Amino acid sequence: MTVPPMLDVEDLVIRYPARGLFAARPKPAVNGASFRLAKGETLGIVGESGSGKTSLLRAILRLLPVESGAVRLEGQDWLALKGQALRRARQKIGVVSQNPFLSLSPRLTIADILAEPMLAQGDRQGAAMRKKIAGLLADCGLPADFLDRRARELSGGQAQRVAIARALALEPGLLILDEPTSALDVSVQAQILNLLADLKESRGLSMLFVTHNLKVVAHISDTLLVMRHGDVIEFGRTEEVLRAPAEAYTRELLSFGRNAAMA
Amino acid sequence: MTLLDVRNLSVSIPTPEGDVHAVRSVDLSIERGEIHGVIGESGCGKTMTGMAMLGLVPQGARIAADRFHFDGEDLSENASRLRGRRIGLISQDPAAALNPVLSIARQMDDVLSAHRDMPRQTRHAEAAALLAATGLPDPEKVLKSYPHQLSGGMQQRVVIAQALATGADFLIADEPTTALDVSVGAQVLALLRRLVSERGLTVLMITHDMDVIAEACDRATVLYAGRSVETGPVDDVLRRPGHPYTRALLAALPDAGPHGARLAAIEGSIPPPRIAIAGCAFAPRCPQAMLVCAAEPPPMRARATHRWLCHLPEDAA
Repeated sequence: MTVPPMLDVEDLVIRYPARGLFAARPKPAVNGASFRLAKGETLGIVGESGSGKTSLLRAILRLLPVESGAVRLEGQDWLALKGQALRRARQKIGVVSQNPFLSLSPRLTIADILAEPMLAQGDRQGAAMRKKIAGLLADCGLPADFLDRRARELSGGQAQRVAIARALALEPGLLILDEPTSALDVSVQAQILNLLADLKESRGLSMLFVTHNLKVVAHISDTLLVMRHGDVIEFGRTEEVLRAPAEAYTRELLSFGRNAAMA
Repeated sequence: MTLLDVRNLSVSIPTPEGDVHAVRSVDLSIERGEIHGVIGESGCGKTMTGMAMLGLVPQGARIAADRFHFDGEDLSENASRLRGRRIGLISQDPAAALNPVLSIARQMDDVLSAHRDMPRQTRHAEAAALLAATGLPDPEKVLKSYPHQLSGGMQQRVVIAQALATGADFLIADEPTTALDVSVGAQVLALLRRLVSERGLTVLMITHDMDVIAEACDRATVLYAGRSVETGPVDDVLRRPGHPYTRALLAALPDAGPHGARLAAIEGSIPPPRIAIAGCAFAPRCPQAMLVCAAEPPPMRARATHRWLCHLPEDAA
């Protein structure tokens, strides 16, 4: 028996409701997306604002209803889950967003922030949890004395490490990263990308990495998906997409800046 | 001809815990008609350098310089008078730069009536002409719009049109494409390049993105910990960097090495802005640091117009 892919999306259509009773039906935000993410791999999703990448993420997180199509997570019909079953199954996905200072409460200590997801799933406070939290921090390259600090005392890179540690607290198989390095300087971005590569290796994580910067994601992704105006215009192994981009838009993204100027 | 001549600029902000040295020693020499990039990480003093030229430093901040000249005028006295007349600002977030409750027509008219002596009818035509000059396809429609009805790229073009409306010939563009998509950002950079060649503008481009430098700039200056550590033609700075910090920044980029390889992150962090620095500020993070680096200020190294501050000899770069 073959192992089912981490994520299998088939012909997914997402359409927002019309703005009035007699308004025309809007174009779909995502127009029939199909792709697979194998276990232990990273899929980079690239597109500009309005290309549908955030709608796609929100649908995979079950925060947005879909019009048609299928999403299977490790072979399970992900769109059929409801109520408590959905709540439990959501542990399988961890999320990291663009701005860690918006996603981490400035009032809580780092220990509280990392405990939150475990408490929500019914774990008990105590020495075991504290040890696990320190382990998560260490895995994300932060010393244990961060436990009693607060998010507002951290630099952008440190805060993003805490956000990654929190996303891993429930040991998800899939990590969804939405522009995780866009707010960071290049030297810090390099540290975070290295950390993600380490975590992928040590935990066998699968990752969905969403960004508008093709060069960042091309570096760490195994497969690449390029979206434009709701359509998937490119999907394939990263090396192949980079070597022979099928679409002019992909070539344009690749040619911006340093490499083109220096070629 | 040198339009902007800055030597040893410093900006310090007094606080109860001691002075914050936002800018320690910046040299900038910008020729008329060039796009000059200023690059560095957060906290290196890029934005404060630009703000000093606009006279927009925080209250109580002390500006000192051996020379701080714009077109022959001393900026330490005249910055606020030149702001909006000769010097314009394009900020990172165009949505924040525009008033959300006023139409573009009203906002363009405000700028024109404040800066140019024109009757109302002429102002409307001038506003439309300026919007057209920034590549907006339907200026009349844009004039009737409110900022929220425009995309980020269109908003940034309106902000550029406003800067042109003042008659400014020197624009300080502070991360003008950071909030935009890559393809839209590339269009805005192309627009700035066109305006430079058509209207003889000069642009100071503040950015943390090497791709923006490569795409748009003629020359670039690298800042580290409030100091200009390297300056020269973009080709030299990006292809044959002299300063170890510039090399480290370039090596940290995701497309610097083979696909999937570990990236060369820069260990450590920038020195806190309150401490005094005796030698080279980058020495604690520099893989090539020698004993002398932490103790003495680095000497100037040069290859033609490409200059940098480093204890390592020229041929080590």
